[in-house]
Amino acid sequence: MFKKLPVLFALLMLLSVPALAQDKVFVNGIDANFPPFAYIGPDGKATGFDVDAMNWIAKEMGFKVEHKPMEWSGIVASLKARKIDMISSGLSKTEERATQIDFSAPYWTIKQVVVVAKDSTLTADQALKSGLRVGVQSGTSDAKTMADVNGQEGREYELVEYPSSALAAQDVLNGRIDAAVMNDAPAAAAAAKIDVKIVGEAGLPNEVFAIGVAKDDPETLKLVNEGLAKIMADPYWQELIEKYQPGQVQ
Amino acid sequence: MDMLSAAAFSLTEMFRSADLTWPTALYLLGGVGETVLLVMGGMALGLLLGTVMASVQVYGPAWAGRLVGLYVWFFRGVPILVLMFLFFFGLSTQLEAAVFAVFGVRATVSEFACAVVVLGLCSTAYQSQIFRGAMQSIPAGQFKAALALGLSPAGAVRGVILPQALRISIPAWSNEYSIMLKDSAIAYVIGVSEVMSRFKAVASTNHKTLLMYILAGVVYYVLTAAGVRLLLKLYETVRIPGLADMDASQ
Repeated sequence: MFKKLPVLFALLMLLSVPALAQDKVFVNGIDANFPPFAYIGPDGKATGFDVDAMNWIAKEMGFKVEHKPMEWSGIVASLKARKIDMISSGLSKTEERATQIDFSAPYWTIKQVVVVAKDSTLTADQALKSGLRVGVQSGTSDAKTMADVNGQEGREYELVEYPSSALAAQDVLNGRIDAAVMNDAPAAAAAAKIDVKIVGEAGLPNEVFAIGVAKDDPETLKLVNEGLAKIMADPYWQELIEKYQPGQVQ
Repeated sequence: MDMLSAAAFSLTEMFRSADLTWPTALYLLGGVGETVLLVMGGMALGLLLGTVMASVQVYGPAWAGRLVGLYVWFFRGVPILVLMFLFFFGLSTQLEAAVFAVFGVRATVSEFACAVVVLGLCSTAYQSQIFRGAMQSIPAGQFKAALALGLSPAGAVRGVILPQALRISIPAWSNEYSIMLKDSAIAYVIGVSEVMSRFKAVASTNHKTLLMYILAGVVYYVLTAAGVRLLLKLYETVRIPGLADMDASQ
């Protein structure tokens, strides 16, 4: 039995060796918990507005793309470490991120909204100014902005972080937090499934989504930008918007 | 009969309302493959290094034993979560940079490989102590007799001590297996698509968090119970009656 151990071990190590370079497959890191931009569909595969758009871009520009679900809070670090080639998954373009990675042209504008339980009487204003517990998704730009503006202009809340917007919405229902702040798209997706409602905007500046690419990777950036320009001029873009209804039309 | 059909009906209703189609179920169960591979890799690495370290601690020079003690102290003290982040975002990037500098080849350390290494190194610490206890329970005279017969210390360990020690350790080792199975869920934070991350992704879309996580728990339970049962069956087969048992329930 011991004689087989080194062989078994070698086999296991081989499984981890990167595949020999054939046709380069671009890896798109996604947060699989972010409907309708990126999530796991009923067919068990990654799907969503950003995923389908990237599939179209890949076909049009002639490269292969693979979507890799990962933890959102580590996704920028993964891109910097070149473990993935791009992030097309509802990534907000922020100044802070722009110092770490490059962005494509923006393709979507997003609002931050406040989500409360369906039977709650809170308004968006009250939710953020009464010292209540407010949930956000960790690693997101809204989480950072919420932390920064806490205490300004009458805002007062206790910030609670969650691994995903969906979980934050769920905890609003559980009563562990009084409200949650998230992008309007996943908020609409949550409101459609569980007993929460959107009560208004969070009063934070609008943000834009753009595709993230590592710095010093001009080839990928060029591919992505060209592809993005093509798809936004194509009627398929409207098809995607109608299919996924990302909460707001540009 | 009525109760049974009522239970079956409510179960299918639950599954249907959670949008659990067959492809989704297959996607979820696919995570089992990843989890099993993670655990196999981690246990194999732990077994290999653990036996070496235990031998060094029991039969090696005192300074080497102290080094092993230091290793065990470190890997038992630092949480696996911290180690995962350290290896994946920190050390693996350094390794890739070094490989690039020396060989000019852009290699990537996959998150799966990272997870196996971290799980394996942590398990080594615990497994070495299991084997150490087993080795120390074997009468000291056996080792001395083996040396007197002309075997080298390494040969004595491999031919005389280990066959007995490994058999004695199986019950404790099955305990380590069940711990490793649960720890494998932590790999989701670096993006390994195992059971936990897949259930979480589906839960974010259908928002049936209670059901999904109960099902995830069931999957882990089945894996643990089956594995432990197999290991204990192995133990019954290879056990040496009369030899000191580490499992006190004999």
